[in-house]
Amino acid sequence: MMTHAHSKRMVVISDLHLGNPFSQTRTKAVDFLRWAARQDFDICINGDGLEIAQASFTKLAVEIPDVIRVLKELNKMGKTIYYIVGNHDIALEHFLEDWGALKVCPFLNVTSGDSRIRIEHGHLYDPFFVAYPRLYEFCTRLGGVILAIAPEAYRLWISFERWRARLRARRTGIIGEPPQFAEAALELSRRGFDSIVFGHTHHLGQIELPTGQKYFNPGSWLLSCHYVEIDQGRVSLKNWEEAV
Amino acid sequence: MALDTDRRFSQEHIREFKDGEIVFAEGDPGRDLYIIQDGAVIIRKKTEVGEVDLVHFKRGDFFGDMALLQAIPRFASAYAKGPTKLLILQPGGFLLKLRRDPTFAFEMIQQLSYRVKTSSEKFLEAVHKGRISKEVVAEILTHSEKPHS
Repeated sequence: MMTHAHSKRMVVISDLHLGNPFSQTRTKAVDFLRWAARQDFDICINGDGLEIAQASFTKLAVEIPDVIRVLKELNKMGKTIYYIVGNHDIALEHFLEDWGALKVCPFLNVTSGDSRIRIEHGHLYDPFFVAYPRLYEFCTRLGGVILAIAPEAYRLWISFERWRARLRARRTGIIGEPPQFAEAALELSRRGFDSIVFGHTHHLGQIELPTGQKYFNPGSWLLSCHYVEIDQGRVSLKNWEEAV
Repeated sequence: MALDTDRRFSQEHIREFKDGEIVFAEGDPGRDLYIIQDGAVIIRKKTEVGEVDLVHFKRGDFFGDMALLQAIPRFASAYAKGPTKLLILQPGGFLLKLRRDPTFAFEMIQQLSYRVKTSSEKFLEAVHKGRISKEVVAEILTHSEKPHS
């Protein structure tokens, strides 16, 4: 199972959720992948690229072939595309590997320049997902029904999470996230990682950890087109629509 | 940020070593596990022909696992290569570390599996080249099948 990679230049995107009723990202994702390849970046999709828990089959059938096509195209060009398994992808692991265009990993330790970067989806640190997996799945499916009726409800939920986090007395980490994510990033940073990249929470941001290392989350492409850029060991959070 | 690092990491500590400084010596009774935060470490073993470099560890690697997991004296000596910073996990903190950092368990198993594969390949190469007699091979294989006591 692959967990290590060397890369001079890499881009990391997370939580595309292709097929989700709220998702409008297919065209943008395809354009982004082509752009990244032209810029000579390796590509890492940090989990939940596809949606099965909340997907409408019609939407999946429309959105996925386009993305598969471009990934295969990039693969033929010699680009390496890493795919880190997220909680919405666990059941799809073999399917993803069978595409042949992706290197599927549970997490990825990237060496770039003198830096070591850990990229991981991050669902292992979600207290709700870990403590109540069946309830989590039920709520996810229920959310899918709500999204099918009113896709904009998703934006309201994300705003609610951010406001709730602002009201919390113990504010740790990226706003909107449970504190367990920053704690996990801190734990990993003590193992010799300079930067840690998670996805999963859909909350975009970056913070400096008490150890001096940085923790990034590029958020979800359901909301905005942000990505983490790794360039010769330098790591930064960027907005793709502004970058192009 | 309000992450309480002192309380959270009370069962592990960080120590810096100078180039060539010894981390532990062969035969020492230590039980700690080491993770390289910065720098590198060389593992050396005393043999009949003098001290031999067994392995070089780099940033992110761990060592000292044999003494921790099997409760045996240090099998070989460890030396810092260049200025080196180590995260030292005490036995009591090890399980806590696995609970808080579950992918560390995965990476440990992965590295141990890699080490078994490398040792087996070296062993087989020595057998093919006739450096080890059939009697010794048979003895090694017999012993390796026995569960640890």
